[in-house]
Amino acid sequence: MGSTLILVLVVIAGFSFDFTNGFHDTANAMATSIATGALKPKVAVILSAVLNFAGAFISISVAATIAKGIVSPKVLVGGDGLELVLAALIGAMTWNLITWYFTIPSSSSHALIGGVIGATIVATASGEVNWHNLVQSVIVPAVLSPFICAGVAALGTYMAYRLIRRLGQKEARTGYRYGQICSASLVSLAHGTNDAQKTMGVISLALIAHGDISAVNFSVPFWVKLGCALSIALGTASGGWRIINTMGNRITNVESPQGFSAESSSAAVILASSYYGYPLSTTQVVSGGVLGAGLGKKIDSVHWNVIGQMLAAWVLTMPGAAVLGGVAWAIADIFGAHANVGAIVICVLAAGGAFGLWTLAQRNKITPDDLDRTKVSVVEEAELAGVPAALAEA
Amino acid sequence: MLILATPYINWSALWKIIVASLVAGAGVVVVFGFLLLGVKIANNAKGGGREWAGYALSGVCGFICLAIVAAGIYAILNKPVSKKPAPKKTAAALIAPSYKSTA
Repeated sequence: MGSTLILVLVVIAGFSFDFTNGFHDTANAMATSIATGALKPKVAVILSAVLNFAGAFISISVAATIAKGIVSPKVLVGGDGLELVLAALIGAMTWNLITWYFTIPSSSSHALIGGVIGATIVATASGEVNWHNLVQSVIVPAVLSPFICAGVAALGTYMAYRLIRRLGQKEARTGYRYGQICSASLVSLAHGTNDAQKTMGVISLALIAHGDISAVNFSVPFWVKLGCALSIALGTASGGWRIINTMGNRITNVESPQGFSAESSSAAVILASSYYGYPLSTTQVVSGGVLGAGLGKKIDSVHWNVIGQMLAAWVLTMPGAAVLGGVAWAIADIFGAHANVGAIVICVLAAGGAFGLWTLAQRNKITPDDLDRTKVSVVEEAELAGVPAALAEA
Repeated sequence: MLILATPYINWSALWKIIVASLVAGAGVVVVFGFLLLGVKIANNAKGGGREWAGYALSGVCGFICLAIVAAGIYAILNKPVSKKPAPKKTAAALIAPSYKSTA
């Protein structure tokens, strides 16, 4: 049994991670709707926040998968279980903030899984990680899902533009904007059902470690659900403008039929996969969707250097978060028997790091007003060959 | 490749996911396009059968779009894995076995 102080720190770290997850992933649902002017940036993030909140309450299957599948429960109910979960959350959160600073849409889910694995490896120095389950239920879907979504979105976009020849540019652009709002909403809802529950799973792990709930057939307590739902919604509403800019403007110049195609494909892939119990990365699916939507219209409209940066970040996310989680564990472990002191030290270091990154990010800040394109008329939008240079460079 | 061996990929689930994504993802884009086309036909027609045909096309397409959205929400609410106790030998049990069953 770990101490109650550490349990409290774990819960705070869990909610903080969920907050970073929220603003990191707002882009998934809303970036394309903002980029095409279907929604004002602030309206978009608030809509997304409400739907994330609702989604967080709907189902618990993903929470169960994360908690049960990858790390042996006996490590977590052992004496160091709580510190381990804390180190994992700090690793994941710090990785999220680093990728946010570099404006890269990386997977919060993979960061979380990486953090758990890193802390477990350093803590136990043995094979307490279920690698088979990790490959089967995390890595394989992570590799396949962006390709599937890109293919679906490319096909959808290609056919949409064939229809548009009969439909006329103006009608199509205006009409598809309405469709986009609907498909983006569905992605937000799906995001809430998947991502908030991953944190619920981790906080549940901590409660198991503290002995508050049983490791067998556990269920997520109501206050954990509410806390996670609120954290992810607040994070979403705060708006991750840096990542929204990357997703909406820097991958390709998204037009409303492409935005609709990308979001519909993403919603379809995410919902079909989660129906079969895969803890899929929403970020990677949507990035695949946006890429596919670009390819479906014109192959050279995609900015491959941005795709390259994203791919690098995706590959690095799990090991990167694992290293951070492992380092957090190692620092806490220096204090040995004074586990409370170790836990406080790593929390203070993480908070300091977060503040530092936030301060650095203020230097090249991106505001919602920079991204607002609702005032751009459909004609102007059609005439715009690319994104304003200032945004593309940011 | 080891990774292509069946223990790592549940091919039947994968194919279902691909087909469902194609039908719902790319399908809805096309159906929504026809919905817009129906509205345009109706607006351009000066009354008569052509106007009604346009609205009928839009109506049918709108219904299909709503059905696809409903299917999505159904998928959110009815994840097979969330049923307790988890039935053995379902696709869901194969994808996400509990730790005990694989340890």
